[in-house]
Amino acid sequence: MIRRREVAKRVFAYELTRSTHVLQEENVKYALTPLGERVNRIFSVSVLLDKEEVRPDTNLWRMRLSDPTGVFYAYAGRFNSEAVETLLDLEPPVIVALVGKVRVFEGVTRKLVSVVPENLVEVESAVRDYWVLETAKATLKRIEEMEKKEGEDVKLAWNIYNPNLEEYKSVVKQAVSLIREELEELEKEFEEEEEDFEFEEEEWDLTELLED
Amino acid sequence: MDKVEEITQKIVEKFERHGVKVNKSEIKKRVDLLLNEFKVPEGEIIRTITNYLIREHGLSKEILFERESPLVKIAEITKPGVWVSVKAKVAQLWDSSSPNVSQVGLIGDETGMIKFVIWAKSGKGEVEEGKSYLFKNVVTDSFQGRMQINVNRFSSIVELEEDISLPPREVSIVGALVSIQQGSGLIQRCSICGRAMIKNSCPEHGKVESYDDLRIKGVLDDGESVYEIILNEENVKSLTGIGLEEAKRIAQEKLDRGAVLSELKSRLLGRYFKVTGTKGGRYILVKEVDFYKPELKEFKLLGEAI
Repeated sequence: MIRRREVAKRVFAYELTRSTHVLQEENVKYALTPLGERVNRIFSVSVLLDKEEVRPDTNLWRMRLSDPTGVFYAYAGRFNSEAVETLLDLEPPVIVALVGKVRVFEGVTRKLVSVVPENLVEVESAVRDYWVLETAKATLKRIEEMEKKEGEDVKLAWNIYNPNLEEYKSVVKQAVSLIREELEELEKEFEEEEEDFEFEEEEWDLTELLED
Repeated sequence: MDKVEEITQKIVEKFERHGVKVNKSEIKKRVDLLLNEFKVPEGEIIRTITNYLIREHGLSKEILFERESPLVKIAEITKPGVWVSVKAKVAQLWDSSSPNVSQVGLIGDETGMIKFVIWAKSGKGEVEEGKSYLFKNVVTDSFQGRMQINVNRFSSIVELEEDISLPPREVSIVGALVSIQQGSGLIQRCSICGRAMIKNSCPEHGKVESYDDLRIKGVLDDGESVYEIILNEENVKSLTGIGLEEAKRIAQEKLDRGAVLSELKSRLLGRYFKVTGTKGGRYILVKEVDFYKPELKEFKLLGEAI
Protein backbone atom coordinates (compact mmCIF):
# COMPACT_ATOMS: atom_id res chain seq x y z
CA MET A 1 0.00 0.00 0.00
CA ILE A 2 1.73 3.16 -1.19
CA ARG A 3 0.72 6.21 0.79
CA ARG A 4 -0.31 9.20 -1.25
CA ARG A 5 2.20 12.01 -1.16
CA GLU A 6 1.18 14.77 1.23
CA VAL A 7 0.32 18.05 -0.47
CA ALA A 8 2.60 20.91 0.58
CA LYS A 9 0.25 23.38 2.30
CA ARG A 10 0.72 27.15 2.01
CA VAL A 11 0.66 28.69 5.46
CA PHE A 12 1.99 32.05 6.64
CA ALA A 13 4.39 32.05 9.61
CA TYR A 14 1.72 33.82 11.68
CA GLU A 15 -0.63 30.84 11.38
CA LEU A 16 2.09 28.17 11.32
CA THR A 17 3.77 29.13 14.59
CA ARG A 18 0.40 28.95 16.36
CA SER A 19 -0.37 25.42 15.08
CA THR A 20 0.48 23.52 18.25
CA HIS A 21 -2.23 20.85 18.30
CA VAL A 22 -1.12 17.52 16.81
CA LEU A 23 -3.45 15.03 15.13
CA GLN A 24 -2.47 11.53 14.14
CA GLU A 25 -3.99 9.58 11.28
CA GLU A 26 -2.55 6.18 10.27
CA ASN A 27 1.04 6.91 11.39
CA VAL A 28 0.97 10.36 9.81
CA LYS A 29 1.21 13.33 12.13
CA TYR A 30 -0.51 16.59 11.29
CA ALA A 31 -0.40 19.92 13.01
CA LEU A 32 -3.84 21.50 13.11
CA THR A 33 -3.67 25.21 12.32
CA PRO A 34 -5.88 27.78 14.08
CA LEU A 35 -7.81 28.07 10.79
CA GLY A 36 -8.61 24.36 10.67
CA GLU A 37 -6.01 23.12 8.15
CA ARG A 38 -4.20 19.81 8.64
CA VAL A 39 -0.56 20.37 7.87
CA ASN A 40 2.09 17.68 7.43
CA ARG A 41 4.22 19.15 4.64
CA ILE A 42 4.57 22.84 3.86
CA PHE A 43 5.95 24.90 1.03
CA SER A 44 7.19 28.28 2.16
CA VAL A 45 9.16 31.04 0.49
CA SER A 46 10.75 33.30 3.07
CA VAL A 47 13.88 35.23 3.97
CA LEU A 48 16.66 33.33 5.72
CA LEU A 49 17.69 35.85 8.36
CA ASP A 50 20.12 33.76 10.27
CA LYS A 51 21.73 30.32 10.51
CA GLU A 52 23.62 28.85 13.45
CA GLU A 53 24.87 25.51 14.63
CA VAL A 54 22.75 24.56 17.64
CA ARG A 55 25.86 23.37 19.52
CA PRO A 56 29.39 23.29 18.11
CA ASP A 57 30.24 20.17 16.08
CA THR A 58 26.73 18.72 16.18
CA ASN A 59 26.15 19.55 12.51
CA LEU A 60 22.62 20.42 13.53
CA TRP A 61 21.67 23.82 12.16
CA ARG A 62 18.93 26.20 13.19
CA MET A 63 17.57 28.59 10.57
CA ARG A 64 15.57 31.68 11.42
CA LEU A 65 13.19 32.45 8.58
CA SER A 66 10.82 35.32 8.01
CA ASP A 67 7.84 35.87 5.74
CA PRO A 68 5.80 39.13 5.72
CA THR A 69 3.74 37.89 8.71
CA GLY A 70 6.39 36.70 11.14
CA VAL A 71 9.34 34.49 11.99
CA PHE A 72 9.62 30.70 12.23
CA TYR A 73 12.45 28.18 12.68
CA ALA A 74 13.69 25.22 10.69
CA TYR A 75 16.27 22.62 11.74
CA ALA A 76 18.56 20.84 9.31
CA GLY A 77 20.95 18.09 10.30
CA ARG A 78 22.43 14.70 9.41
CA PHE A 79 19.01 13.50 8.26
CA ASN A 80 19.17 16.02 5.45
CA SER A 81 22.74 16.55 4.39
CA GLU A 82 21.71 18.15 1.10
CA ALA A 83 19.86 20.93 2.92
CA VAL A 84 22.85 21.43 5.22
CA GLU A 85 25.18 21.68 2.22
CA THR A 86 22.93 24.29 0.64
CA LEU A 87 22.69 26.13 3.92
CA LEU A 88 26.47 26.34 4.34
CA ASP A 89 26.70 28.10 0.98
CA LEU A 90 23.99 30.64 1.78
CA GLU A 91 24.84 34.11 3.09
CA PRO A 92 21.84 35.60 4.94
CA PRO A 93 19.75 37.57 4.30
CA VAL A 94 18.64 35.64 1.26
CA ILE A 95 15.27 34.48 -0.13
CA VAL A 96 14.79 30.70 0.07
CA ALA A 97 12.12 28.23 -0.96
CA LEU A 98 11.65 25.58 1.67
CA VAL A 99 9.78 22.29 1.36
CA GLY A 100 9.58 20.46 4.65
CA LYS A 101 7.72 18.64 7.36
CA VAL A 102 6.10 20.43 10.26
CA ARG A 103 7.16 19.31 13.74
CA VAL A 104 5.69 20.29 17.09
CA PHE A 105 8.10 20.07 20.03
CA GLU A 106 6.74 19.92 23.56
CA GLY A 107 8.90 22.35 25.50
CA VAL A 108 8.83 22.77 29.26
CA THR A 109 6.62 25.84 29.24
CA ARG A 110 5.15 25.81 25.71
CA LYS A 111 4.97 23.97 22.42
CA LEU A 112 7.25 25.01 19.59
CA VAL A 113 6.39 24.60 15.92
CA SER A 114 9.31 24.17 13.54
CA VAL A 115 10.05 22.79 10.09
CA VAL A 116 12.40 20.01 9.01
CA PRO A 117 13.56 20.76 5.48
CA GLU A 118 13.35 18.23 2.66
CA ASN A 119 14.47 20.74 0.07
CA LEU A 120 16.04 24.12 0.53
CA VAL A 121 17.05 26.38 -2.33
CA GLU A 122 17.79 30.03 -2.96
CA VAL A 123 15.18 31.63 -5.23
CA GLU A 124 14.37 34.92 -6.95
CA SER A 125 12.09 37.52 -5.35
CA ALA A 126 9.35 36.88 -7.95
CA VAL A 127 8.93 33.40 -6.46
CA ARG A 128 8.39 34.93 -3.02
CA ASP A 129 5.88 37.40 -4.49
CA TYR A 130 3.76 34.65 -5.97
CA TRP A 131 4.03 32.53 -2.84
CA VAL A 132 2.60 35.41 -0.80
CA LEU A 133 -0.27 35.79 -3.26
CA GLU A 134 -0.98 32.06 -3.26
CA THR A 135 -0.73 31.77 0.52
CA ALA A 136 -2.96 34.81 0.98
CA LYS A 137 -5.63 33.18 -1.19
CA ALA A 138 -5.32 29.87 0.67
CA THR A 139 -5.55 31.62 4.04
CA LEU A 140 -8.64 33.61 3.00
CA LYS A 141 -10.28 30.38 1.86
CA ARG A 142 -9.61 28.88 5.30
CA ILE A 143 -11.06 31.96 7.00
CA GLU A 144 -14.24 31.50 4.94
CA GLU A 145 -14.48 27.87 6.01
CA MET A 146 -14.01 28.91 9.63
CA GLU A 147 -16.86 31.41 9.26
CA LYS A 148 -19.16 28.60 8.06
CA LYS A 149 -18.26 26.60 11.21
CA GLU A 150 -18.81 23.30 9.38
CA GLY A 151 -16.58 20.24 9.26
CA GLU A 152 -14.71 18.29 11.90
CA ASP A 153 -11.36 20.10 11.67
CA VAL A 154 -12.97 23.52 11.60
CA LYS A 155 -14.98 22.77 14.74
CA LEU A 156 -11.87 21.36 16.42
CA ALA A 157 -9.91 24.51 15.53
CA TRP A 158 -12.66 26.71 17.02
CA ASN A 159 -12.60 24.60 20.20
CA ILE A 160 -8.84 24.55 20.64
CA TYR A 161 -7.78 27.95 19.36
CA ASN A 162 -10.91 30.11 19.14
CA PRO A 163 -9.09 32.38 16.67
CA ASN A 164 -9.85 36.03 16.00
CA LEU A 165 -10.61 35.89 12.27
CA GLU A 166 -10.36 39.67 11.82
CA GLU A 167 -6.79 39.48 13.10
CA TYR A 168 -5.96 36.85 10.47
CA LYS A 169 -7.63 38.91 7.75
CA SER A 170 -5.56 41.97 8.57
CA VAL A 171 -2.35 39.89 8.64
CA VAL A 172 -3.15 38.65 5.11
CA LYS A 173 -4.05 42.14 3.94
CA GLN A 174 -0.76 43.54 5.22
CA ALA A 175 1.26 40.82 3.53
CA VAL A 176 -0.44 41.42 0.19
CA SER A 177 -0.07 45.22 0.37
CA LEU A 178 3.60 44.89 1.22
CA ILE A 179 4.29 42.92 -1.97
CA ARG A 180 1.95 45.11 -4.01
CA GLU A 181 3.75 48.28 -2.97
CA GLU A 182 7.08 46.72 -3.84
CA LEU A 183 5.82 45.69 -7.28
CA GLU A 184 4.29 49.12 -7.90
CA GLU A 185 7.61 50.66 -7.00
CA LEU A 186 9.34 48.42 -9.52
CA GLU A 187 6.76 49.24 -12.16
CA LYS A 188 7.27 52.98 -11.55
CA GLU A 189 11.02 52.65 -11.92
CA PHE A 190 10.52 50.69 -15.09
CA GLU A 191 8.16 53.34 -16.52
CA GLU A 192 10.56 56.11 -15.56
CA GLU A 193 13.34 54.32 -17.39
CA GLU A 194 11.11 54.08 -20.43
CA GLU A 195 10.25 57.77 -20.19
CA ASP A 196 13.92 58.66 -19.97
CA PHE A 197 14.45 56.65 -23.08
CA GLU A 198 11.70 58.44 -24.98
CA PHE A 199 13.10 61.72 -23.83
CA GLU A 200 16.49 60.79 -25.27
CA GLU A 201 14.88 59.82 -28.52
CA GLU A 202 13.60 63.33 -29.03
CA GLU A 203 17.14 64.59 -28.64
CA TRP A 204 18.41 62.97 -31.82
CA ASP A 205 20.00 65.51 -34.06
CA LEU A 206 18.89 64.59 -37.54
CA THR A 207 20.28 67.64 -39.37
CA GLU A 208 23.30 65.77 -40.67
CA LEU A 209 21.16 63.08 -42.20
CA LEU A 210 18.96 65.59 -43.92
CA GLU A 211 21.81 67.42 -45.57
CA ASP A 212 22.69 66.44 -49.11
CA MET B 1 -17.40 -15.42 -62.41
CA ASP B 2 -18.83 -13.85 -65.54
CA LYS B 3 -19.55 -10.16 -65.88
CA VAL B 4 -23.29 -10.52 -65.29
CA GLU B 5 -22.75 -12.43 -62.06
CA GLU B 6 -20.15 -9.91 -60.90
CA ILE B 7 -22.37 -6.88 -61.42
CA THR B 8 -25.34 -8.65 -59.86
CA GLN B 9 -23.28 -9.49 -56.79
CA LYS B 10 -22.22 -5.84 -56.39
CA ILE B 11 -25.82 -4.65 -56.43
CA VAL B 12 -27.05 -7.36 -54.06
CA GLU B 13 -24.25 -6.66 -51.56
CA LYS B 14 -24.95 -2.98 -51.67
CA PHE B 15 -28.50 -3.55 -50.51
CA GLU B 16 -27.56 -6.24 -48.03
CA ARG B 17 -25.23 -3.79 -46.31
CA HIS B 18 -28.32 -1.81 -45.51
CA GLY B 19 -30.21 -4.83 -44.39
CA VAL B 20 -32.40 -4.91 -47.48
CA LYS B 21 -33.09 -8.31 -49.04
CA VAL B 22 -33.45 -8.17 -52.83
CA ASN B 23 -34.38 -10.79 -55.38
CA LYS B 24 -31.10 -11.92 -56.89
CA SER B 25 -32.39 -13.82 -59.88
CA GLU B 26 -34.57 -10.89 -60.91
CA ILE B 27 -31.60 -8.54 -60.73
CA LYS B 28 -29.48 -10.96 -62.71
CA LYS B 29 -32.05 -10.94 -65.53
CA ARG B 30 -32.03 -7.16 -65.66
CA VAL B 31 -28.23 -7.00 -65.65
CA ASP B 32 -28.04 -9.52 -68.45
CA LEU B 33 -30.51 -7.52 -70.49
CA LEU B 34 -28.77 -4.17 -70.05
CA LEU B 35 -25.27 -5.56 -70.51
CA ASN B 36 -25.64 -7.98 -73.37
CA GLU B 37 -28.70 -6.66 -75.19
CA PHE B 38 -28.26 -2.91 -74.82
CA LYS B 39 -24.49 -2.65 -74.27
CA VAL B 40 -24.91 -0.26 -71.35
CA PRO B 41 -21.67 0.52 -69.42
CA GLU B 42 -21.26 -1.15 -66.03
CA GLY B 43 -21.57 1.97 -63.90
CA GLU B 44 -24.82 2.92 -65.58
CA ILE B 45 -26.22 -0.58 -65.12
CA ILE B 46 -25.60 -0.49 -61.39
CA ARG B 47 -27.08 2.97 -61.16
CA THR B 48 -30.19 2.13 -63.15
CA ILE B 49 -30.98 -1.05 -61.28
CA THR B 50 -30.22 0.53 -57.91
CA ASN B 51 -32.61 3.35 -58.76
CA TYR B 52 -35.29 0.88 -59.74
CA LEU B 53 -34.85 -1.12 -56.52
CA ILE B 54 -34.98 2.00 -54.37
CA ARG B 55 -38.33 2.90 -55.90
CA GLU B 56 -39.53 -0.70 -55.59
CA HIS B 57 -38.66 -0.96 -51.91
CA GLY B 58 -39.49 2.63 -51.03
CA LEU B 59 -35.97 3.30 -49.74
CA SER B 60 -34.12 6.56 -49.41
CA LYS B 61 -31.95 7.84 -52.21
CA GLU B 62 -28.90 7.71 -49.97
CA ILE B 63 -28.00 4.23 -51.12
CA LEU B 64 -27.33 5.68 -54.54
CA PHE B 65 -24.62 7.98 -53.29
CA GLU B 66 -23.16 5.51 -50.94
CA ARG B 67 -19.57 4.61 -51.53
CA GLU B 68 -17.82 1.89 -49.63
CA SER B 69 -17.62 3.32 -46.12
CA PRO B 70 -13.95 3.16 -45.18
CA LEU B 71 -12.93 2.65 -41.58
CA VAL B 72 -11.43 5.95 -40.46
CA LYS B 73 -10.01 7.50 -37.31
CA ILE B 74 -11.97 10.36 -35.81
CA ALA B 75 -9.15 12.81 -36.48
CA GLU B 76 -9.56 12.05 -40.20
CA ILE B 77 -13.17 13.28 -40.24
CA THR B 78 -12.84 16.75 -41.66
CA LYS B 79 -15.46 17.08 -44.42
CA PRO B 80 -19.24 16.87 -44.17
CA GLY B 81 -21.32 14.52 -46.29
CA VAL B 82 -18.91 11.58 -46.31
CA TRP B 83 -19.90 7.99 -45.56
CA VAL B 84 -17.50 6.45 -43.07
CA SER B 85 -17.21 3.77 -40.41
CA VAL B 86 -15.54 4.38 -37.05
CA LYS B 87 -14.57 2.28 -34.07
CA ALA B 88 -15.16 4.43 -31.02
CA LYS B 89 -16.06 4.51 -27.37
CA VAL B 90 -19.13 6.38 -26.12
CA ALA B 91 -17.64 9.00 -23.80
CA GLN B 92 -20.80 10.91 -22.92
CA LEU B 93 -24.52 10.79 -23.61
CA TRP B 94 -26.33 14.10 -23.57
CA ASP B 95 -29.99 14.76 -22.94
CA SER B 96 -31.75 15.00 -26.25
CA SER B 97 -34.05 17.95 -26.56
CA SER B 98 -35.65 16.83 -29.78
CA PRO B 99 -38.11 13.96 -30.34
CA ASN B 100 -36.37 13.31 -33.67
CA VAL B 101 -33.16 12.35 -31.90
CA SER B 102 -33.00 9.04 -30.09
CA GLN B 103 -29.49 9.60 -28.69
CA VAL B 104 -26.86 12.32 -28.85
CA GLY B 105 -23.45 12.62 -27.23
CA LEU B 106 -19.70 12.28 -27.69
CA ILE B 107 -17.73 9.35 -29.00
CA GLY B 108 -13.97 9.11 -29.24
CA ASP B 109 -10.98 7.07 -30.27
CA GLU B 110 -7.31 7.69 -29.48
CA THR B 111 -7.15 10.44 -32.13
CA GLY B 112 -10.03 12.61 -31.00
CA MET B 113 -13.64 13.13 -30.01
CA ILE B 114 -16.71 13.83 -32.15
CA LYS B 115 -20.39 14.46 -31.55
CA PHE B 116 -22.75 11.73 -32.69
CA VAL B 117 -26.47 11.76 -33.34
CA ILE B 118 -28.66 8.69 -33.64
CA TRP B 119 -31.80 9.82 -35.43
CA ALA B 120 -35.03 8.43 -34.06
CA LYS B 121 -36.17 7.28 -37.47
CA SER B 122 -32.96 5.33 -38.03
CA GLY B 123 -34.51 2.69 -35.79
CA LYS B 124 -31.07 1.79 -34.40
CA GLY B 125 -30.55 0.45 -30.91
CA GLU B 126 -29.25 2.46 -28.03
CA VAL B 127 -25.59 2.75 -27.04
CA GLU B 128 -24.23 2.90 -23.50
CA GLU B 129 -21.65 5.22 -21.97
CA GLY B 130 -18.22 3.62 -21.58
CA LYS B 131 -18.82 0.90 -24.16
CA SER B 132 -17.04 0.65 -27.52
CA TYR B 133 -18.84 0.14 -30.83
CA LEU B 134 -18.25 -0.09 -34.54
CA PHE B 135 -20.39 2.66 -36.07
CA LYS B 136 -20.75 1.38 -39.62
CA ASN B 137 -21.88 3.48 -42.57
CA VAL B 138 -22.46 6.74 -40.80
CA VAL B 139 -22.54 10.11 -42.53
CA THR B 140 -20.31 12.98 -41.50
CA ASP B 141 -21.95 16.33 -41.07
CA SER B 142 -21.04 19.81 -39.99
CA PHE B 143 -23.19 21.55 -37.42
CA GLN B 144 -22.47 25.04 -36.07
CA GLY B 145 -18.94 24.81 -37.40
CA ARG B 146 -18.13 21.46 -35.78
CA MET B 147 -17.99 18.01 -37.30
CA GLN B 148 -20.40 15.32 -36.18
CA ILE B 149 -21.52 11.90 -37.38
CA ASN B 150 -25.12 10.93 -38.03
CA VAL B 151 -26.45 7.42 -37.56
CA ASN B 152 -29.22 6.84 -40.08
CA ARG B 153 -31.24 3.85 -41.13
CA PHE B 154 -28.45 2.56 -43.37
CA SER B 155 -25.97 2.61 -40.54
CA SER B 156 -25.32 -0.19 -38.15
CA ILE B 157 -23.96 -0.17 -34.61
CA VAL B 158 -22.08 -3.24 -33.44
CA GLU B 159 -20.77 -3.53 -29.89
CA LEU B 160 -17.05 -4.36 -29.77
CA GLU B 161 -15.20 -6.71 -27.45
CA GLU B 162 -12.14 -4.46 -27.52
CA ASP B 163 -11.94 -1.31 -25.46
CA ILE B 164 -11.25 1.74 -27.61
CA SER B 165 -9.15 4.28 -25.75
CA LEU B 166 -10.07 7.94 -25.67
CA PRO B 167 -7.57 10.67 -26.54
CA PRO B 168 -5.19 11.64 -23.75
CA ARG B 169 -6.57 14.55 -21.77
CA GLU B 170 -4.53 17.67 -21.82
CA VAL B 171 -3.98 19.28 -18.44
CA SER B 172 -2.64 22.67 -17.51
CA ILE B 173 -1.26 23.35 -14.05
CA VAL B 174 0.48 26.13 -12.17
CA GLY B 175 2.43 24.78 -9.24
CA ALA B 176 5.69 24.80 -7.34
CA LEU B 177 8.36 22.20 -8.09
CA VAL B 178 8.68 20.79 -4.57
CA SER B 179 10.76 17.71 -5.33
CA ILE B 180 13.10 16.31 -7.97
CA GLN B 181 13.06 12.54 -7.91
CA GLN B 182 15.67 9.86 -8.54
CA GLY B 183 16.50 9.18 -12.14
CA SER B 184 16.78 12.88 -12.95
CA GLY B 185 19.62 14.85 -14.49
CA LEU B 186 22.15 13.34 -16.86
CA ILE B 187 20.95 9.76 -17.20
CA GLN B 188 21.97 6.75 -19.30
CA ARG B 189 19.51 4.90 -21.47
CA CYS B 190 19.74 1.34 -22.78
CA SER B 191 20.77 1.36 -26.44
CA ILE B 192 18.39 -1.53 -27.14
CA CYS B 193 15.14 -0.41 -25.53
CA GLY B 194 15.77 3.20 -24.49
CA ARG B 195 14.90 2.61 -20.85
CA ALA B 196 16.70 4.52 -18.17
CA MET B 197 19.57 2.46 -16.74
CA ILE B 198 19.87 1.88 -13.02
CA LYS B 199 23.50 1.69 -11.80
CA ASN B 200 24.77 1.25 -15.36
CA SER B 201 22.48 -1.65 -16.13
CA CYS B 202 19.18 -1.91 -17.96
CA PRO B 203 16.34 -3.55 -16.01
CA GLU B 204 15.60 -5.58 -19.16
CA HIS B 205 18.93 -6.16 -20.91
CA GLY B 206 21.50 -5.89 -18.11
CA LYS B 207 24.94 -4.44 -18.82
CA VAL B 208 24.72 -3.16 -22.39
CA GLU B 209 25.78 -0.16 -24.47
CA SER B 210 24.06 3.03 -23.37
CA TYR B 211 23.55 6.60 -24.50
CA ASP B 212 23.16 9.81 -22.51
CA ASP B 213 19.93 11.73 -22.02
CA LEU B 214 18.77 14.60 -19.86
CA ARG B 215 15.50 14.71 -17.97
CA ILE B 216 13.78 15.77 -14.76
CA LYS B 217 11.26 13.64 -12.89
CA GLY B 218 9.62 15.89 -10.38
CA VAL B 219 6.62 16.78 -8.28
CA LEU B 220 4.57 19.86 -9.00
CA ASP B 221 2.41 20.97 -6.07
CA ASP B 222 -0.26 23.68 -6.20
CA GLY B 223 -1.25 23.50 -2.55
CA GLU B 224 -4.35 21.44 -3.39
CA SER B 225 -2.91 18.43 -5.28
CA VAL B 226 0.39 16.93 -6.35
CA TYR B 227 1.30 16.07 -9.93
CA GLU B 228 4.25 13.99 -11.06
CA ILE B 229 5.85 15.40 -14.18
CA ILE B 230 8.60 14.45 -16.57
CA LEU B 231 10.57 17.19 -18.29
CA ASN B 232 12.51 15.98 -21.32
CA GLU B 233 15.79 17.38 -22.62
CA GLU B 234 14.00 20.01 -24.71
CA ASN B 235 11.97 21.21 -21.69
CA VAL B 236 15.07 21.35 -19.48
CA LYS B 237 16.97 23.29 -22.13
CA SER B 238 14.18 25.82 -22.63
CA LEU B 239 14.09 26.50 -18.88
CA THR B 240 17.77 26.50 -17.98
CA GLY B 241 19.72 26.83 -21.21
CA ILE B 242 21.35 23.52 -20.31
CA GLY B 243 20.84 20.92 -23.02
CA LEU B 244 22.44 17.52 -23.37
CA GLU B 245 25.75 18.80 -24.77
CA GLU B 246 26.12 21.40 -22.04
CA ALA B 247 25.20 18.79 -19.41
CA LYS B 248 27.91 16.47 -20.68
CA ARG B 249 30.38 19.33 -20.57
CA ILE B 250 29.48 20.10 -16.95
CA ALA B 251 29.84 16.43 -16.01
CA GLN B 252 33.27 16.24 -17.64
CA GLU B 253 34.49 19.46 -16.12
CA LYS B 254 33.48 18.44 -12.59
CA LEU B 255 34.33 14.77 -13.16
CA ASP B 256 30.89 14.04 -11.73
CA ARG B 257 27.62 13.30 -13.50
CA GLY B 258 25.81 14.32 -10.32
CA ALA B 259 27.02 17.89 -10.79
CA VAL B 260 24.44 18.30 -13.55
CA LEU B 261 21.61 17.36 -11.19
CA SER B 262 22.87 19.76 -8.51
CA GLU B 263 22.96 22.57 -11.04
CA LEU B 264 19.45 21.81 -12.30
CA LYS B 265 18.11 21.53 -8.75
CA SER B 266 19.48 24.93 -7.80
CA ARG B 267 17.84 26.49 -10.86
CA LEU B 268 14.47 24.72 -10.82
CA LEU B 269 13.52 23.56 -7.32
CA GLY B 270 11.15 25.78 -5.37
CA ARG B 271 10.07 27.77 -8.44
CA TYR B 272 6.60 28.06 -9.89
CA PHE B 273 5.90 26.63 -13.32
CA LYS B 274 3.04 26.62 -15.74
CA VAL B 275 2.92 23.20 -17.32
CA THR B 276 0.76 21.89 -20.16
CA GLY B 277 0.83 18.23 -21.01
CA THR B 278 -1.00 14.96 -21.22
CA LYS B 279 -1.56 12.53 -18.42
CA GLY B 280 0.01 9.22 -19.34
CA GLY B 281 -0.47 6.90 -16.39
CA ARG B 282 1.45 8.09 -13.37
CA TYR B 283 3.26 11.00 -14.98
CA ILE B 284 2.24 14.07 -16.88
CA LEU B 285 4.23 14.18 -20.11
CA VAL B 286 5.04 17.82 -20.50
CA LYS B 287 4.47 19.56 -23.81
CA GLU B 288 5.01 23.13 -22.73
CA VAL B 289 6.62 24.47 -19.61
CA ASP B 290 7.66 27.91 -18.47
CA PHE B 291 8.45 29.74 -15.26
CA TYR B 292 5.23 31.24 -13.92
CA LYS B 293 5.26 34.93 -13.08
CA PRO B 294 2.31 36.63 -11.43
CA GLU B 295 1.07 39.99 -12.63
CA LEU B 296 0.75 43.08 -10.49
CA LYS B 297 -2.98 43.22 -11.14
CA GLU B 298 -3.43 39.91 -9.33
CA PHE B 299 -2.11 41.56 -6.15
CA LYS B 300 -4.28 44.63 -6.68
CA LEU B 301 -7.38 42.50 -7.15
CA LEU B 302 -6.71 40.41 -4.07
CA GLY B 303 -5.81 43.48 -1.99
CA GLU B 304 -9.13 45.06 -2.89
CA ALA B 305 -11.05 41.88 -2.13
CA ILE B 306 -9.95 41.61 1.51
